[in-house]
Amino acid sequence: MTRVRDVARIQLVHWPALLAYPLGFVAAMPLLGLAIDVSNGETAGGPHEIYLLPALWGMAAAGHLQSMTQVFPFALGLGVTRRTFAAATALVVTAQALFLGLVLVAFGAVERATGGWGREARLFGLGVVRQDGPVTQWLAYTGPIVAVSAICVLAGVVFQRWRQTGMYLAVLGSAAVLAGFGALAKAQRWWPSIGAFLGAQPSLTLFAAGPLAIAVALGGLAWLVLRRATV
Amino acid sequence: MNVVRTTGLTKRYGPLAALDGVSVELAENTIHGLLGRNGAGKTTLMKILTGQARETGGTAEVFGQHPYENAGVLSRICFVKESQHYPEKFRVKHALRAAELLYRNWDGAYAAALLADFAVPEGQLLGKLSRGQLSAVGVTIGLASRAPLTLFDEPYLGLDAAARQLFYDRLLADYAEHPRTIVLSTHLIDEVGDLIEHVVLLDRGRVLIDADAESLRGDAVAVTGPADAVERFAAGCDELHRERVGGSLRVTLTGAPDRLAPGLDFEPVSLQQLVVRTTQRHGGAVAAGKETR
Repeated sequence: MTRVRDVARIQLVHWPALLAYPLGFVAAMPLLGLAIDVSNGETAGGPHEIYLLPALWGMAAAGHLQSMTQVFPFALGLGVTRRTFAAATALVVTAQALFLGLVLVAFGAVERATGGWGREARLFGLGVVRQDGPVTQWLAYTGPIVAVSAICVLAGVVFQRWRQTGMYLAVLGSAAVLAGFGALAKAQRWWPSIGAFLGAQPSLTLFAAGPLAIAVALGGLAWLVLRRATV
Repeated sequence: MNVVRTTGLTKRYGPLAALDGVSVELAENTIHGLLGRNGAGKTTLMKILTGQARETGGTAEVFGQHPYENAGVLSRICFVKESQHYPEKFRVKHALRAAELLYRNWDGAYAAALLADFAVPEGQLLGKLSRGQLSAVGVTIGLASRAPLTLFDEPYLGLDAAARQLFYDRLLADYAEHPRTIVLSTHLIDEVGDLIEHVVLLDRGRVLIDADAESLRGDAVAVTGPADAVERFAAGCDELHRERVGGSLRVTLTGAPDRLAPGLDFEPVSLQQLVVRTTQRHGGAVAAGKETR
Protein backbone atom coordinates (compact mmCIF):
# COMPACT_ATOMS: atom_id res chain seq x y z
CA MET A 1 0.00 0.00 0.00
CA THR A 2 2.93 2.33 0.71
CA ARG A 3 4.18 1.91 -2.84
CA VAL A 4 0.70 2.57 -4.25
CA ARG A 5 0.56 5.77 -2.21
CA ASP A 6 4.04 6.78 -3.39
CA VAL A 7 3.14 6.21 -7.04
CA ALA A 8 -0.05 8.24 -6.49
CA ARG A 9 2.13 11.04 -5.16
CA ILE A 10 4.26 10.83 -8.30
CA GLN A 11 1.11 11.21 -10.41
CA LEU A 12 0.25 14.26 -8.32
CA VAL A 13 3.64 15.86 -8.88
CA HIS A 14 2.00 17.76 -11.69
CA TRP A 15 -0.93 18.69 -9.48
CA PRO A 16 -2.11 21.72 -11.49
CA ALA A 17 -3.53 19.49 -14.25
CA LEU A 18 -5.36 17.27 -11.79
CA LEU A 19 -6.42 19.81 -9.18
CA ALA A 20 -5.61 23.46 -9.86
CA TYR A 21 -7.02 23.76 -13.37
CA PRO A 22 -10.34 22.04 -12.51
CA LEU A 23 -10.60 24.10 -9.32
CA GLY A 24 -9.91 27.25 -11.27
CA PHE A 25 -12.65 26.29 -13.69
CA VAL A 26 -15.13 25.69 -10.86
CA ALA A 27 -14.25 29.06 -9.37
CA ALA A 28 -14.69 30.72 -12.77
CA MET A 29 -18.02 29.02 -13.51
CA PRO A 30 -20.20 31.78 -11.99
CA LEU A 31 -18.41 34.37 -14.13
CA LEU A 32 -18.61 32.17 -17.22
CA GLY A 33 -22.31 31.68 -16.52
CA LEU A 34 -22.77 35.43 -16.26
CA ALA A 35 -20.94 35.92 -19.55
CA ILE A 36 -23.20 33.35 -21.20
CA ASP A 37 -26.30 35.01 -19.79
CA VAL A 38 -25.14 38.43 -20.95
CA SER A 39 -24.39 37.13 -24.41
CA ASN A 40 -27.84 35.50 -24.51
CA GLY A 41 -29.55 38.58 -23.11
CA GLU A 42 -30.97 36.59 -20.19
CA THR A 43 -29.71 38.67 -17.26
CA ALA A 44 -33.23 39.66 -16.29
CA GLY A 45 -34.79 36.27 -17.06
CA GLY A 46 -36.39 33.88 -14.57
CA PRO A 47 -34.98 30.58 -13.22
CA HIS A 48 -32.68 29.04 -15.75
CA GLU A 49 -29.90 26.45 -15.97
CA ILE A 50 -26.45 26.78 -17.53
CA TYR A 51 -24.72 23.51 -18.46
CA LEU A 52 -21.04 24.03 -17.73
CA LEU A 53 -20.60 20.97 -15.50
CA PRO A 54 -19.79 18.57 -18.40
CA ALA A 55 -16.81 20.79 -19.31
CA LEU A 56 -15.51 20.31 -15.79
CA TRP A 57 -15.75 16.53 -16.16
CA GLY A 58 -13.53 16.67 -19.23
CA MET A 59 -11.09 19.07 -17.64
CA ALA A 60 -10.74 16.94 -14.52
CA ALA A 61 -10.22 13.79 -16.57
CA ALA A 62 -7.65 15.12 -19.07
CA GLY A 63 -4.82 14.93 -16.54
CA HIS A 64 -5.26 11.16 -16.28
CA LEU A 65 -4.64 10.78 -20.00
CA GLN A 66 -1.28 12.44 -19.45
CA SER A 67 -0.57 10.18 -16.46
CA MET A 68 -1.03 7.07 -18.59
CA THR A 69 0.96 8.24 -21.61
CA GLN A 70 3.79 10.07 -19.84
CA VAL A 71 4.06 9.19 -16.15
CA PHE A 72 3.44 5.46 -16.66
CA PRO A 73 6.49 4.83 -18.92
CA PHE A 74 8.63 6.93 -16.60
CA ALA A 75 7.44 5.03 -13.51
CA LEU A 76 7.99 1.66 -15.15
CA GLY A 77 11.66 2.55 -15.60
CA LEU A 78 11.82 3.23 -11.88
CA GLY A 79 10.76 -0.30 -11.03
CA VAL A 80 7.00 0.26 -10.60
CA THR A 81 4.74 -2.61 -11.61
CA ARG A 82 1.75 -2.12 -13.86
CA ARG A 83 -0.48 -3.37 -11.06
CA THR A 84 0.86 -0.76 -8.63
CA PHE A 85 0.47 2.00 -11.20
CA ALA A 86 -3.10 0.94 -11.94
CA ALA A 87 -4.00 0.88 -8.23
CA ALA A 88 -2.40 4.31 -7.77
CA THR A 89 -4.38 5.64 -10.73
CA ALA A 90 -7.63 4.34 -9.26
CA LEU A 91 -6.72 6.03 -5.97
CA VAL A 92 -5.94 9.37 -7.64
CA VAL A 93 -9.08 9.29 -9.82
CA THR A 94 -11.30 8.54 -6.83
CA ALA A 95 -9.67 11.08 -4.53
CA GLN A 96 -9.75 13.81 -7.18
CA ALA A 97 -13.41 13.16 -8.00
CA LEU A 98 -14.43 13.13 -4.33
CA PHE A 99 -12.52 16.36 -3.71
CA LEU A 100 -14.02 18.15 -6.71
CA GLY A 101 -17.45 16.75 -5.80
CA LEU A 102 -17.11 18.32 -2.35
CA VAL A 103 -16.12 21.65 -3.88
CA LEU A 104 -19.17 21.47 -6.14
CA VAL A 105 -21.40 20.85 -3.10
CA ALA A 106 -19.95 23.97 -1.50
CA PHE A 107 -20.49 26.06 -4.63
CA GLY A 108 -24.00 24.66 -4.90
CA ALA A 109 -24.70 25.89 -1.36
CA VAL A 110 -23.40 29.34 -2.27
CA GLU A 111 -25.58 29.28 -5.37
CA ARG A 112 -28.67 28.58 -3.29
CA ALA A 113 -27.72 31.15 -0.66
CA THR A 114 -27.30 33.88 -3.28
CA GLY A 115 -30.54 33.09 -5.07
CA GLY A 116 -28.77 31.70 -8.11
CA TRP A 117 -25.95 34.30 -8.18
CA GLY A 118 -28.53 37.03 -7.83
CA ARG A 119 -30.38 36.15 -11.03
CA GLU A 120 -31.93 32.70 -10.46
CA ALA A 121 -29.21 31.00 -12.49
CA ARG A 122 -28.39 27.37 -11.75
CA LEU A 123 -24.89 26.23 -12.70
CA PHE A 124 -24.36 23.71 -9.90
CA GLY A 125 -27.88 22.83 -8.83
CA LEU A 126 -28.96 21.51 -12.22
CA GLY A 127 -32.33 19.81 -11.98
CA VAL A 128 -31.14 16.44 -13.25
CA VAL A 129 -28.29 16.27 -10.73
CA ARG A 130 -30.02 17.82 -7.74
CA GLN A 131 -30.33 15.67 -4.62
CA ASP A 132 -32.02 16.26 -1.29
CA GLY A 133 -29.09 15.61 1.04
CA PRO A 134 -25.51 16.87 0.92
CA VAL A 135 -24.03 13.34 0.89
CA THR A 136 -26.14 12.13 -2.02
CA GLN A 137 -25.47 15.42 -3.78
CA TRP A 138 -21.74 14.84 -3.27
CA LEU A 139 -22.02 11.36 -4.81
CA ALA A 140 -24.04 12.69 -7.75
CA TYR A 141 -21.33 15.26 -8.49
CA THR A 142 -18.54 12.70 -8.06
CA GLY A 143 -19.94 9.90 -10.24
CA PRO A 144 -19.65 11.56 -13.67
CA ILE A 145 -16.12 12.79 -12.93
CA VAL A 146 -15.04 9.23 -12.13
CA ALA A 147 -16.69 7.85 -15.27
CA VAL A 148 -15.16 10.43 -17.64
CA SER A 149 -11.78 9.94 -15.94
CA ALA A 150 -12.07 6.20 -16.59
CA ILE A 151 -12.66 6.93 -20.29
CA CYS A 152 -9.47 9.04 -20.35
CA VAL A 153 -7.50 6.36 -18.50
CA LEU A 154 -8.66 3.75 -21.00
CA ALA A 155 -7.78 6.03 -23.92
CA GLY A 156 -4.33 6.63 -22.44
CA VAL A 157 -3.72 2.93 -21.96
CA VAL A 158 -4.85 2.12 -25.51
CA PHE A 159 -2.48 4.79 -26.83
CA GLN A 160 0.34 3.49 -24.65
CA ARG A 161 -0.05 -0.03 -25.98
CA TRP A 162 -1.09 0.44 -29.61
CA ARG A 163 -0.30 4.09 -30.29
CA GLN A 164 -2.21 6.01 -32.97
CA THR A 165 -3.45 2.87 -34.68
CA GLY A 166 -5.08 1.74 -31.46
CA MET A 167 -6.67 5.13 -30.90
CA TYR A 168 -8.09 5.29 -34.42
CA LEU A 169 -9.50 1.79 -34.14
CA ALA A 170 -10.90 2.43 -30.66
CA VAL A 171 -12.63 5.66 -31.70
CA LEU A 172 -13.96 4.23 -34.96
CA GLY A 173 -15.00 1.00 -33.25
CA SER A 174 -16.80 2.84 -30.46
CA ALA A 175 -18.54 5.12 -32.96
CA ALA A 176 -19.58 2.11 -35.04
CA VAL A 177 -20.97 0.28 -32.00
CA LEU A 178 -22.90 3.35 -30.82
CA ALA A 179 -24.21 4.11 -34.30
CA GLY A 180 -25.19 0.48 -34.77
CA PHE A 181 -27.02 0.44 -31.47
CA GLY A 182 -28.74 3.71 -32.34
CA ALA A 183 -29.87 2.35 -35.69
CA LEU A 184 -31.06 -0.89 -34.09
CA ALA A 185 -32.95 0.98 -31.37
CA LYS A 186 -34.61 3.16 -34.00
CA ALA A 187 -35.52 0.21 -36.21
CA GLN A 188 -36.93 -1.71 -33.26
CA ARG A 189 -38.63 1.41 -31.83
CA TRP A 190 -36.77 1.00 -28.54
CA TRP A 191 -36.11 4.71 -27.91
CA PRO A 192 -39.43 5.43 -26.13
CA SER A 193 -38.85 2.45 -23.85
CA ILE A 194 -35.24 3.47 -23.22
CA GLY A 195 -36.34 7.02 -22.48
CA ALA A 196 -39.04 5.79 -20.13
CA PHE A 197 -36.61 3.46 -18.39
CA LEU A 198 -34.02 6.21 -17.84
CA GLY A 199 -36.69 8.67 -16.80
CA ALA A 200 -37.96 6.24 -14.19
CA GLN A 201 -34.51 5.88 -12.59
CA PRO A 202 -33.71 7.90 -9.50
CA SER A 203 -31.28 10.72 -10.22
CA LEU A 204 -28.76 9.13 -7.84
CA THR A 205 -28.74 5.98 -9.97
CA LEU A 206 -28.10 7.99 -13.12
CA PHE A 207 -25.39 10.21 -11.67
CA ALA A 208 -23.70 8.02 -9.06
CA ALA A 209 -24.37 4.28 -9.35
CA GLY A 210 -24.51 4.23 -13.16
CA PRO A 211 -21.30 6.21 -13.75
CA LEU A 212 -19.55 4.21 -11.06
CA ALA A 213 -20.53 0.95 -12.78
CA ILE A 214 -19.29 2.34 -16.10
CA ALA A 215 -16.04 3.42 -14.46
CA VAL A 216 -15.50 -0.03 -12.96
CA ALA A 217 -16.16 -1.68 -16.34
CA LEU A 218 -13.84 0.70 -18.22
CA GLY A 219 -11.23 0.47 -15.47
CA GLY A 220 -11.28 -3.32 -15.74
CA LEU A 221 -10.89 -3.06 -19.49
CA ALA A 222 -8.01 -0.60 -19.04
CA TRP A 223 -6.29 -3.04 -16.72
CA LEU A 224 -6.59 -5.86 -19.28
CA VAL A 225 -4.84 -3.63 -21.81
CA LEU A 226 -2.29 -2.22 -19.35
CA ARG A 227 -1.09 -5.54 -17.97
CA ARG A 228 0.59 -6.34 -21.29
CA ALA A 229 1.66 -2.82 -22.20
CA THR A 230 5.33 -2.27 -22.92
CA VAL A 231 7.30 0.98 -23.05
CA MET B 1 25.98 -15.09 -6.24
CA ASN B 2 24.26 -14.31 -9.53
CA VAL B 3 21.76 -11.47 -9.70
CA VAL B 4 20.66 -12.34 -13.24
CA ARG B 5 20.32 -15.72 -14.89
CA THR B 6 18.78 -16.32 -18.30
CA THR B 7 18.47 -19.67 -20.01
CA GLY B 8 17.68 -19.97 -23.70
CA LEU B 9 16.00 -16.58 -23.59
CA THR B 10 14.18 -15.79 -26.81
CA LYS B 11 12.19 -12.79 -27.93
CA ARG B 12 10.53 -12.77 -31.32
CA TYR B 13 8.82 -9.93 -33.14
CA GLY B 14 7.07 -11.84 -35.90
CA PRO B 15 9.75 -13.60 -37.92
CA LEU B 16 12.54 -11.53 -36.37
CA ALA B 17 14.37 -12.97 -33.36
CA ALA B 18 15.59 -10.04 -31.26
CA LEU B 19 16.97 -12.59 -28.78
CA ASP B 20 17.75 -16.11 -29.85
CA GLY B 21 18.56 -18.51 -27.03
CA VAL B 22 20.48 -16.14 -24.77
CA SER B 23 21.93 -17.79 -21.69
CA VAL B 24 23.94 -15.52 -19.42
CA GLU B 25 24.66 -15.09 -15.74
CA LEU B 26 25.50 -11.74 -14.19
CA ALA B 27 27.29 -11.85 -10.86
CA GLU B 28 26.42 -9.65 -7.91
CA ASN B 29 28.42 -6.48 -7.19
CA THR B 30 30.06 -6.37 -10.59
CA ILE B 31 30.09 -3.88 -13.44
CA HIS B 32 28.96 -5.75 -16.54
CA GLY B 33 29.41 -4.42 -20.03
CA LEU B 34 26.60 -5.36 -22.37
CA LEU B 35 28.06 -4.80 -25.80
CA GLY B 36 26.97 -5.28 -29.36
CA ARG B 37 26.01 -3.49 -32.52
CA ASN B 38 22.72 -1.75 -33.14
CA GLY B 39 19.96 -4.36 -33.24
CA ALA B 40 22.06 -6.92 -31.37
CA GLY B 41 19.36 -7.37 -28.73
CA LYS B 42 20.88 -5.42 -25.83
CA THR B 43 17.86 -3.22 -25.13
CA THR B 44 15.47 -6.14 -25.57
CA LEU B 45 17.42 -8.15 -23.01
CA MET B 46 17.38 -5.28 -20.54
CA LYS B 47 13.68 -4.69 -21.08
CA ILE B 48 12.95 -8.30 -20.19
CA LEU B 49 15.22 -8.15 -17.15
CA THR B 50 13.40 -5.03 -15.93
CA GLY B 51 9.90 -6.36 -16.53
CA GLN B 52 9.16 -3.94 -19.36
CA ALA B 53 8.71 -6.71 -21.90
CA ARG B 54 8.05 -10.45 -21.81
CA GLU B 55 10.15 -13.14 -23.39
CA THR B 56 8.79 -15.41 -26.09
CA GLY B 57 10.70 -18.42 -24.81
CA GLY B 58 13.32 -19.50 -22.30
CA THR B 59 13.59 -18.25 -18.75
CA ALA B 60 14.76 -15.07 -17.07
CA GLU B 61 15.49 -14.75 -13.38
CA VAL B 62 16.46 -11.61 -11.50
CA PHE B 63 17.23 -12.00 -7.81
CA GLY B 64 16.05 -15.58 -8.24
CA GLN B 65 12.58 -14.73 -9.57
CA HIS B 66 10.90 -13.80 -12.80
CA PRO B 67 10.87 -10.00 -12.98
CA TYR B 68 7.63 -9.37 -14.88
CA GLU B 69 5.11 -7.66 -12.56
CA ASN B 70 7.19 -8.78 -9.60
CA ALA B 71 7.16 -5.86 -7.17
CA GLY B 72 9.74 -7.47 -4.90
CA VAL B 73 12.22 -7.73 -7.76
CA LEU B 74 11.44 -4.52 -9.62
CA SER B 75 11.71 -2.35 -6.51
CA ARG B 76 15.41 -3.27 -6.49
CA ILE B 77 16.00 -2.32 -10.12
CA CYS B 78 16.69 1.04 -11.76
CA PHE B 79 16.68 1.13 -15.56
CA VAL B 80 18.06 4.24 -17.23
CA LYS B 81 17.60 4.10 -20.95
CA GLU B 82 18.62 6.30 -23.79
CA SER B 83 15.08 6.57 -25.10
CA GLN B 84 13.60 7.46 -21.70
CA HIS B 85 10.73 9.89 -22.06
CA TYR B 86 9.96 12.05 -19.06
CA PRO B 87 6.61 13.66 -18.33
CA GLU B 88 6.97 16.96 -20.11
CA LYS B 89 5.40 18.99 -17.36
CA PHE B 90 7.74 17.56 -14.74
CA ARG B 91 10.67 19.64 -13.64
CA VAL B 92 14.04 18.06 -12.90
CA LYS B 93 13.33 18.18 -9.18
CA HIS B 94 10.04 16.32 -9.76
CA ALA B 95 11.81 13.45 -11.51
CA LEU B 96 14.28 13.27 -8.64
CA ARG B 97 11.45 13.39 -6.11
CA ALA B 98 9.78 10.48 -7.89
CA ALA B 99 12.97 8.45 -7.68
CA GLU B 100 13.35 9.40 -4.02
CA LEU B 101 9.87 8.06 -3.27
CA LEU B 102 10.65 4.73 -4.92
CA TYR B 103 14.23 3.87 -3.93
CA ARG B 104 14.98 3.16 -0.33
CA ASN B 105 18.73 3.77 -0.83
CA TRP B 106 18.17 7.10 -2.58
CA ASP B 107 20.86 9.68 -1.75
CA GLY B 108 19.39 13.14 -2.24
CA ALA B 109 22.58 15.02 -1.43
CA TYR B 110 24.51 12.94 -3.93
CA ALA B 111 21.84 13.55 -6.58
CA ALA B 112 22.04 17.31 -5.99
CA ALA B 113 25.83 17.17 -6.26
CA LEU B 114 25.62 15.23 -9.53
CA LEU B 115 23.16 17.71 -11.00
CA ALA B 116 25.51 20.53 -10.03
CA ASP B 117 28.42 18.69 -11.64
CA PHE B 118 26.45 18.29 -14.86
CA ALA B 119 25.22 21.90 -14.60
CA VAL B 120 21.55 20.89 -14.84
CA PRO B 121 19.19 23.32 -13.04
CA GLU B 122 16.79 21.55 -10.69
CA GLY B 123 13.92 23.88 -11.45
CA GLN B 124 14.05 23.42 -15.22
CA LEU B 125 11.16 21.75 -17.05
CA LEU B 126 12.26 18.37 -18.40
CA GLY B 127 10.59 19.18 -21.70
CA LYS B 128 12.91 22.15 -22.10
CA LEU B 129 16.18 20.29 -21.47
CA SER B 130 18.69 19.50 -24.19
CA ARG B 131 19.39 15.86 -25.10
CA GLY B 132 22.61 15.95 -23.09
CA GLN B 133 20.91 17.45 -20.03
CA LEU B 134 18.21 14.75 -20.20
CA SER B 135 20.94 12.12 -20.27
CA ALA B 136 22.51 13.79 -17.24
CA VAL B 137 19.19 13.55 -15.39
CA GLY B 138 19.01 9.84 -16.23
CA VAL B 139 22.56 9.26 -15.10
CA THR B 140 21.86 11.16 -11.88
CA ILE B 141 18.78 9.04 -11.12
CA GLY B 142 20.65 5.84 -11.95
CA LEU B 143 23.58 6.62 -9.70
CA ALA B 144 21.73 8.23 -6.80
CA SER B 145 19.11 5.44 -6.68
CA ARG B 146 21.83 3.04 -5.50
CA ALA B 147 19.50 0.28 -6.67
CA PRO B 148 20.99 -3.21 -6.15
CA LEU B 149 20.66 -3.73 -9.91
CA THR B 150 21.14 -0.65 -12.05
CA LEU B 151 21.01 -0.83 -15.83
CA PHE B 152 22.26 1.95 -18.07
CA ASP B 153 21.24 1.60 -21.70
CA GLU B 154 23.49 3.93 -23.66
CA PRO B 155 22.95 6.69 -21.13
CA TYR B 156 25.40 9.13 -22.67
CA LEU B 157 23.48 10.42 -25.71
CA GLY B 158 24.17 14.11 -26.13
CA LEU B 159 26.79 14.18 -23.39
CA ASP B 160 30.09 15.65 -24.48
CA ALA B 161 33.39 13.90 -23.78
CA ALA B 162 33.97 15.78 -20.53
CA ALA B 163 30.49 14.97 -19.23
CA ARG B 164 30.87 11.31 -20.19
CA GLN B 165 34.17 11.14 -18.33
CA LEU B 166 32.46 12.74 -15.35
CA PHE B 167 29.84 10.00 -15.46
CA TYR B 168 32.48 7.25 -15.61
CA ASP B 169 34.44 8.82 -12.74
CA ARG B 170 31.37 9.23 -10.55
CA LEU B 171 30.17 5.73 -11.38
CA LEU B 172 33.47 4.16 -10.43
CA ALA B 173 33.84 6.21 -7.24
CA ASP B 174 30.29 5.50 -6.08
CA TYR B 175 30.56 1.84 -7.01
CA ALA B 176 33.72 1.54 -4.91
CA GLU B 177 31.87 3.01 -1.94
CA HIS B 178 28.55 1.29 -2.54
CA PRO B 179 29.13 -1.95 -4.46
CA ARG B 180 26.15 -3.10 -6.48
CA THR B 181 25.40 -4.79 -9.77
CA ILE B 182 25.64 -2.47 -12.73
CA VAL B 183 24.90 -3.32 -16.34
CA LEU B 184 26.27 -0.81 -18.81
CA SER B 185 25.17 -1.07 -22.40
CA THR B 186 27.31 1.05 -24.67
CA HIS B 187 28.88 1.49 -28.06
CA LEU B 188 31.74 3.53 -26.67
CA ILE B 189 33.70 0.48 -25.64
CA ASP B 190 37.09 2.11 -25.40
CA GLU B 191 35.71 4.69 -22.99
CA VAL B 192 34.37 2.09 -20.58
CA GLY B 193 37.03 -0.52 -21.23
CA ASP B 194 38.73 0.08 -17.88
CA LEU B 195 35.41 0.23 -16.04
CA ILE B 196 33.78 -3.04 -16.85
CA GLU B 197 34.68 -6.29 -15.14
CA HIS B 198 32.60 -8.69 -17.18
CA VAL B 199 31.66 -8.60 -20.84
CA VAL B 200 28.61 -9.95 -22.60
CA LEU B 201 28.74 -9.43 -26.34
CA LEU B 202 25.51 -9.91 -28.24
CA ASP B 203 25.16 -10.12 -31.99
CA ARG B 204 21.88 -10.65 -33.78
CA GLY B 205 20.29 -11.96 -30.61
CA ARG B 206 23.01 -14.44 -29.69
CA VAL B 207 25.82 -14.37 -27.17
CA LEU B 208 29.25 -14.17 -28.80
CA ILE B 209 31.31 -13.43 -25.72
CA ASP B 210 30.49 -14.02 -22.08
CA ALA B 211 33.72 -13.64 -20.19
CA ASP B 212 35.69 -11.84 -17.55
CA ALA B 213 37.06 -8.58 -19.04
CA GLU B 214 40.54 -9.05 -17.64
CA SER B 215 41.00 -12.50 -19.13
CA LEU B 216 39.61 -11.23 -22.45
CA ARG B 217 42.16 -8.47 -22.59
CA GLY B 218 44.98 -10.91 -21.84
CA ASP B 219 43.75 -13.56 -24.21
CA ALA B 220 43.81 -11.59 -27.45
CA VAL B 221 46.88 -10.40 -29.26
CA ALA B 222 47.67 -8.81 -32.62
CA VAL B 223 50.68 -10.36 -34.36
CA THR B 224 52.43 -8.51 -37.17
CA GLY B 225 55.33 -9.64 -39.32
CA PRO B 226 56.32 -11.39 -42.55
CA ALA B 227 53.33 -13.31 -43.84
CA ASP B 228 54.99 -16.74 -43.69
CA ALA B 229 56.18 -16.28 -40.13
CA VAL B 230 52.80 -15.00 -38.97
CA GLU B 231 51.02 -17.88 -40.72
CA ARG B 232 53.27 -20.38 -38.92
CA PHE B 233 52.70 -18.71 -35.58
CA ALA B 234 48.95 -18.43 -36.03
CA ALA B 235 48.48 -22.06 -36.98
CA GLY B 236 46.24 -23.72 -34.41
CA CYS B 237 45.15 -20.45 -32.80
CA ASP B 238 41.70 -18.94 -32.93
CA GLU B 239 41.93 -16.23 -35.56
CA LEU B 240 39.60 -13.27 -35.32
CA HIS B 241 40.87 -11.05 -38.07
CA ARG B 242 43.65 -10.58 -40.58
CA GLU B 243 44.83 -7.81 -42.83
CA ARG B 244 47.63 -7.95 -45.35
CA VAL B 245 49.77 -5.00 -46.44
CA GLY B 246 52.24 -6.03 -49.13
CA GLY B 247 54.30 -8.92 -47.77
CA SER B 248 53.37 -8.15 -44.19
CA LEU B 249 50.51 -9.77 -42.36
CA ARG B 250 48.70 -8.66 -39.21
CA VAL B 251 46.53 -11.23 -37.48
CA THR B 252 44.37 -10.86 -34.39
CA LEU B 253 44.38 -14.07 -32.38
CA THR B 254 43.09 -15.55 -29.20
CA GLY B 255 44.59 -18.55 -27.46
CA ALA B 256 48.17 -17.90 -28.58
CA PRO B 257 50.40 -20.13 -26.40
CA ASP B 258 53.29 -17.67 -26.03
CA ARG B 259 54.21 -14.29 -27.38
CA LEU B 260 57.81 -14.85 -28.16
CA ALA B 261 58.78 -15.40 -31.76
CA PRO B 262 61.68 -13.83 -33.62
CA GLY B 263 60.73 -11.25 -36.25
CA LEU B 264 57.15 -10.86 -35.05
CA ASP B 265 55.59 -7.90 -33.25
CA PHE B 266 53.00 -8.55 -30.54
CA GLU B 267 50.51 -5.88 -29.48
CA PRO B 268 47.71 -6.07 -26.96
CA VAL B 269 44.22 -5.82 -28.41
CA SER B 270 41.83 -3.29 -26.94
CA LEU B 271 38.43 -4.45 -25.80
CA GLN B 272 36.86 -2.46 -28.61
CA GLN B 273 39.06 -4.15 -31.21
CA LEU B 274 38.28 -7.53 -29.73
CA VAL B 275 34.54 -6.84 -29.85
CA VAL B 276 34.72 -5.51 -33.41
CA ARG B 277 36.80 -8.42 -34.67
CA THR B 278 34.66 -11.00 -32.92
CA THR B 279 31.50 -9.49 -34.34
CA GLN B 280 32.97 -9.33 -37.83
CA ARG B 281 34.05 -12.95 -37.69
CA HIS B 282 30.49 -13.97 -36.94
CA GLY B 283 29.19 -12.39 -40.08
CA GLY B 284 29.03 -8.69 -39.25
CA ALA B 285 29.67 -6.08 -41.90
CA VAL B 286 33.32 -5.85 -42.94
CA ALA B 287 35.10 -2.58 -43.49
CA ALA B 288 36.26 -2.03 -47.06
CA GLY B 289 39.76 -3.29 -47.81
CA LYS B 290 39.82 -5.67 -44.87
CA GLU B 291 40.07 -9.41 -45.17
CA THR B 292 38.40 -11.57 -42.58
CA ARG B 293 38.24 -15.26 -41.98
